Amino acid sequence: MELGKRLAHALERATFERVAAVGLANAELNRPRIGRSILELADTASGGTALVIGAGPSLHGRRSLARLAAHGFAGTVVAADGALGACLRAGVVPDVVVTVDPHPDRIVRWFGDPSLTRASDDDYFRRQEMDPAHAVDEVGTNAALVRLVDTHGPRIRVAIATSASPAVAARCASAGMQLFWWNPMVDDYERAESLSRRLHADNGLPCLNGGGNVGTAAWVVAHAVLGARRVGLVGIDFGYAPDTPYERTQYYPELREMLGERFVEAFVHETSLATGERWFSDPAYHWFREVFLDMAREAGCETVNCTEGGLLYGPGIRVEALETFLVSGR
Amino acid sequence: MKAYLRGNYTLDVKIEETSESDSPETTEAFERTALARLGGSICFVSKKAFLWKGDGTNGAGEATRPRA
Repeated sequence: MELGKRLAHALERATFERVAAVGLANAELNRPRIGRSILELADTASGGTALVIGAGPSLHGRRSLARLAAHGFAGTVVAADGALGACLRAGVVPDVVVTVDPHPDRIVRWFGDPSLTRASDDDYFRRQEMDPAHAVDEVGTNAALVRLVDTHGPRIRVAIATSASPAVAARCASAGMQLFWWNPMVDDYERAESLSRRLHADNGLPCLNGGGNVGTAAWVVAHAVLGARRVGLVGIDFGYAPDTPYERTQYYPELREMLGERFVEAFVHETSLATGERWFSDPAYHWFREVFLDMAREAGCETVNCTEGGLLYGPGIRVEALETFLVSGR
Repeated sequence: MKAYLRGNYTLDVKIEETSESDSPETTEAFERTALARLGGSICFVSKKAFLWKGDGTNGAGEATRPRA
């Protein structure tokens, strides 16, 4: 088996080891701020239809947000945190934004970080592909996003995991966003010693099976919480566009450091059924896709891939042009 | 191998022993290290509900999808 796929198959356990402890610690730190449950958003999907917006490269490559803004959509718009900035710049104000990542200081940037006054020593935002605007002008883009989030925040509900950094919770609250809390499901809640069970016992919040990443978690929120029976996807690619340099991929520094010149072997190249292009994924994205396909087969909704790119194809996934889906939400 | 084989002659060529970095044990150790740096931002728990709201008052779990 290819190295990339071999690594991907072990990521369920690796993710637990990577995020469970810090997520539990953040749940404790967030405790004074935890108020409303995500269950207060139950069955609020407008018309039973939702559009989930991820921050994959097709979002920009296919101008999905400009097309959404021009066409309009009567359903509920659910955005992953990494897509919030692009949404607001395009004039799309999401109904719900989902955030989950426990990273202590990166994620707050997706909401505009008022404390950022110079380019960060951490090159993550200059290197990442999810919101290219941050890579072009890190400080200016952040300052503009602070203003946009402060302006539109009171209209936006945030589905925030208890694992999220307290800095994110504080930033959302300061922008007037309404916070609705949930626990990330970290293990089998049916076991007596389950950490998920312990989290629920501590704060009474439901546990959501997040599928490894915030984009999948947003899709779960859309159908399992908001009650959408038809869920469209844009910017959920689980892969990198053909011309993406390896250096601009999410895990490049880690793969390069660990594999040396063999780092290329960790990437999995596949043909996008939408375009015939050769996209590629790293072990994490490959795992995300496998998990999504597994979950989609059992979801109580129709999942419609409107990305017009990416690598999310398979049983349980219907493919439509974005405008075709948007009409169905009217 | 040097510990077990001794010749009574001298070779003109240098024998390159297999690098330890290519051994299966090292590959597994490497992959374990790699996995600790990769992974997602939220767990996935296979064969479990999308949403678990806690045990019902009758002791039955309340979940959004049945166990597979």
